[in-house]
Amino acid sequence: MSLNPSPLSTSRTGGCTLTGALAVTTGIKDSVTIIHGPSGCAHHNFSLLHATILDNDCMVIPSVISSAMSEYDVIFGGEEALLKVINETAAGNPGIIFVLSTCITETIGDDVLAVTRNAGVPVCMVPTGGFLGGDFETGFSHALIAVSNLANPMVKPGEYSRTDSRTVNLVGEKNLEYEVKENFLEIKRLLSLLDLAINLRFAHDISRSEIDRLPFASMNILREPALTAVGNHLQAAFGTPFINSFPLGISGTLSFIINVALVAGSPPEKALEAEKKYQEEVFKEFSDLRGARVRLKIPSGIQENLLIEEIFHKAGFIESPDGVLLPVPYPFPVGTNGMKRMLHLWRRALICRAV
Amino acid sequence: MKQIALYGKGGIGKSTTSANMSAALAEKGLDILQIGCDPKRDSTRMLMQGRFIPTVMDHVRAQGDADVRLEDIMFTGYRGVRCVEAGGPEPGVGCAGRGIIATFQILERLGALKGDIIVYDVLGDVVCGGFAMPMREGYAQEVYLVTSGELMSLYAANNICKAIKRLSLRAKNQCRLAGVICNSKNMEKEEELVLEFSRRINSRLIHFIPRDRTVQLAELHKKTVIEYAPDSPQAAVYRSLAGIVATNEQFTIPEPLDTDELESLAFEYI
Repeated sequence: MSLNPSPLSTSRTGGCTLTGALAVTTGIKDSVTIIHGPSGCAHHNFSLLHATILDNDCMVIPSVISSAMSEYDVIFGGEEALLKVINETAAGNPGIIFVLSTCITETIGDDVLAVTRNAGVPVCMVPTGGFLGGDFETGFSHALIAVSNLANPMVKPGEYSRTDSRTVNLVGEKNLEYEVKENFLEIKRLLSLLDLAINLRFAHDISRSEIDRLPFASMNILREPALTAVGNHLQAAFGTPFINSFPLGISGTLSFIINVALVAGSPPEKALEAEKKYQEEVFKEFSDLRGARVRLKIPSGIQENLLIEEIFHKAGFIESPDGVLLPVPYPFPVGTNGMKRMLHLWRRALICRAV
Repeated sequence: MKQIALYGKGGIGKSTTSANMSAALAEKGLDILQIGCDPKRDSTRMLMQGRFIPTVMDHVRAQGDADVRLEDIMFTGYRGVRCVEAGGPEPGVGCAGRGIIATFQILERLGALKGDIIVYDVLGDVVCGGFAMPMREGYAQEVYLVTSGELMSLYAANNICKAIKRLSLRAKNQCRLAGVICNSKNMEKEEELVLEFSRRINSRLIHFIPRDRTVQLAELHKKTVIEYAPDSPQAAVYRSLAGIVATNEQFTIPEPLDTDELESLAFEYI
């Protein structure tokens, strides 16, 4: 976490449904995503993904291809151009081909779904014409739902999700956020307190065949409440109950443990005790910050004011208009270790100011 | 150079009227270019002895637009009328409106848009921006509405008025309503109704074309009335229309009616 994380004032949400869907489909490592539209739609998104992925110290180049529609295809329909690219892509034998539509193909009424159905190879279509409304998150949710439908279609609701399976799916990790790995490790740590393991990261760095494991978990943990529609879909499809958010804040992390324990049918007391103790240790580690005069810079869109206040008081800060400006990262830090990183960030801000 | 466009409901007789008007204007020794702006591609057929000429979009579909030549897309018909059909995609796919825009760009590039009078014969309704192309960018400056006394036909004409009005508000746009042509369906009080409609939309009825069997006979013989029955009264009607259009200089910005007004107007002339 840098002292001045760049996403502070530039929200990564908003944007285009196409980008949101790509953030999911490119999380499936043996897939190829075809963007059916002019080459610019693919280039623009590819550049964004590539830059973000590099920022996360990952050198994997996302497999994104454009059907490269021209004016010709707009006039006469782009279905042939799409079919050609699907066939070329299929020749490379990917685990799955995704097709994402764009504004122009939705406008001229290309029947993308029909083309994908008749392609003769497994293709998964996500409608992502940006002008149809919605934003990054809409595309993200739609793509998760579309990808979940690839999971073994023979599975009936409730058939595999047994509370004694002691495994959990993580649903909708923000693949483009800086701390995706740290957040994953934090959830893994918290789940281990309850003797729960992770079944599937849906969809982060998984293969097509791993998607078939989706119905086998005893619960789904959604990255954030905005994915509730996805949680509902998975519950209807596979009978898997869900927790609607990763844990945020001091009491939020504790209630996360209680909620997960309830769904898993385990007693929460031991885990709660351990986590409370760990939180105390963390804040003790930052006792040098007590009494510092500060003010907070909260990015627009942050809904977690109460969580921030809780941490703010626990750390013993004194709010003052002429205090040191403390940045609040976006997205909000996950779990106790997320708070710990935020406190490090704040300590650095205070030290810089003091120097 | 005059550039005129005929708009109106599908099947109202725009192509018949355009082709006969072009034939009559050509008889006067004028250099006429008629452009069919409809994927149905049948605007110029009667000028071409029933031939469906290859369309601009046919050529683009087969060979792309890079090496298109004027002789591939422009054909000479009755009395030297130059005929072009925009064409378009197969029904149910793609974007025909964009096809019209692409056609205009190609015609412009090839320097085809010249002559004494250019007649744009545009499909039934201005369903999207592409079909408003003839009214934009200084192409057709004079728009004629072709209508009968039927309510649906008046409704379509009224809708086109909305497009003309909107476009006429744009800076540098010279598109104006040049008049209403009544292509009769043999209804009672039809001429009076269309006359009053024209007045209410701030225009005028420039010609009433009676329903005449000669039109159908000429079509069956794959000719315009001007060519098939040059001495018929119907041919005289088209020549009279051509004379008015050639010299018309009364252009207005239309005032479209709202639906209630239009319907109550139609009631008055039952």
